[in-house]
Amino acid sequence: MKDHKIVFTGTPGAGKTTAIAALSDVPPVTTDVRNSDPGLAKEHTTVGLDFGQVDLGDGQMVRLFGTPGQMRFEFMWRILAKDALGLVVLIDNSRPDPLADLTTYLDAYKDVLPSMNAVIGVGRTLECPLPTLDDFTDLLNARNLVLPVLAVDVRQRDDVLMLVDVVLAQAETRTRACSHQMSTVLIWCEQALETNLASTIAQTSLATSSSWPTR
Amino acid sequence: MADVDGARAALVATPDGFDLARAGEQTVDAGRLAAMVSSLSALGDAASRETQIGQPRCLVIDSSDGRLVVRSMQFRGEPLIVVLLTDTAALLGMVLNALNAADRQLSNA
Repeated sequence: MKDHKIVFTGTPGAGKTTAIAALSDVPPVTTDVRNSDPGLAKEHTTVGLDFGQVDLGDGQMVRLFGTPGQMRFEFMWRILAKDALGLVVLIDNSRPDPLADLTTYLDAYKDVLPSMNAVIGVGRTLECPLPTLDDFTDLLNARNLVLPVLAVDVRQRDDVLMLVDVVLAQAETRTRACSHQMSTVLIWCEQALETNLASTIAQTSLATSSSWPTR
Repeated sequence: MADVDGARAALVATPDGFDLARAGEQTVDAGRLAAMVSSLSALGDAASRETQIGQPRCLVIDSSDGRLVVRSMQFRGEPLIVVLLTDTAALLGMVLNALNAADRQLSNA
């Protein structure tokens, strides 16, 4: 059984807790408390983490971790991202500036994103079609990042599963590319070794023959 | 704080991570500490639920150079988190006793 860790992060109210609850096979662990921030229109908010797990049925178990969304919990973002296979960034398109929201998370994870499997899930795109998915892609491209951007409804299990599948597919592609590179390096090493060995043997033979005592 | 030798700072925070009041050393970033103890407290709640050991009262982080004692309280029906930061000279029993006294005072206020 392969065991993966995928982290859901993103803006408050984007649906990280909902997404994990929608996909998890077990009742999720939640750390929601009553929200006292009048600027955030929701009754409860996550302050620690969410945790769930899903058996994908093909020998792969995925542990799902959700971060708190607010910037003051940024320390949890980094703690939870440690040793993660991938990152799902959820953006709520009904917020005032979804592109700035994405920028916040790209900045926060800038050290790990170039080497991490990641996908951007944009919610509430039907009610709020702007910015478009292309606008998000342009923002990523401007930062030299090539990441999939998908419209999602995190209440739908299939949509959340799609995000997880995208991360797993990226991971598989990276592994294949890495193993292809490793094969190439191994072949090169073998060739170099053979050449070097032949050359070393030739040199040793010469040295040995020349150092043999002559009668 | 005055009742505990070795107390360095005290903080009152909301369960969702905002600092409401502070006392003692100003070197501690109260906003950041409030968010952290909010996470710790919520994780303590989750762990207590998961292991069915009831409602958590207190979390103690016992480190090489001091302690952080986190206690959940109620004030006029509103949940609060009270944190005491101490050095190693502070006796844990005294800290817990002081926090219990503060809890009783807040409950009766």
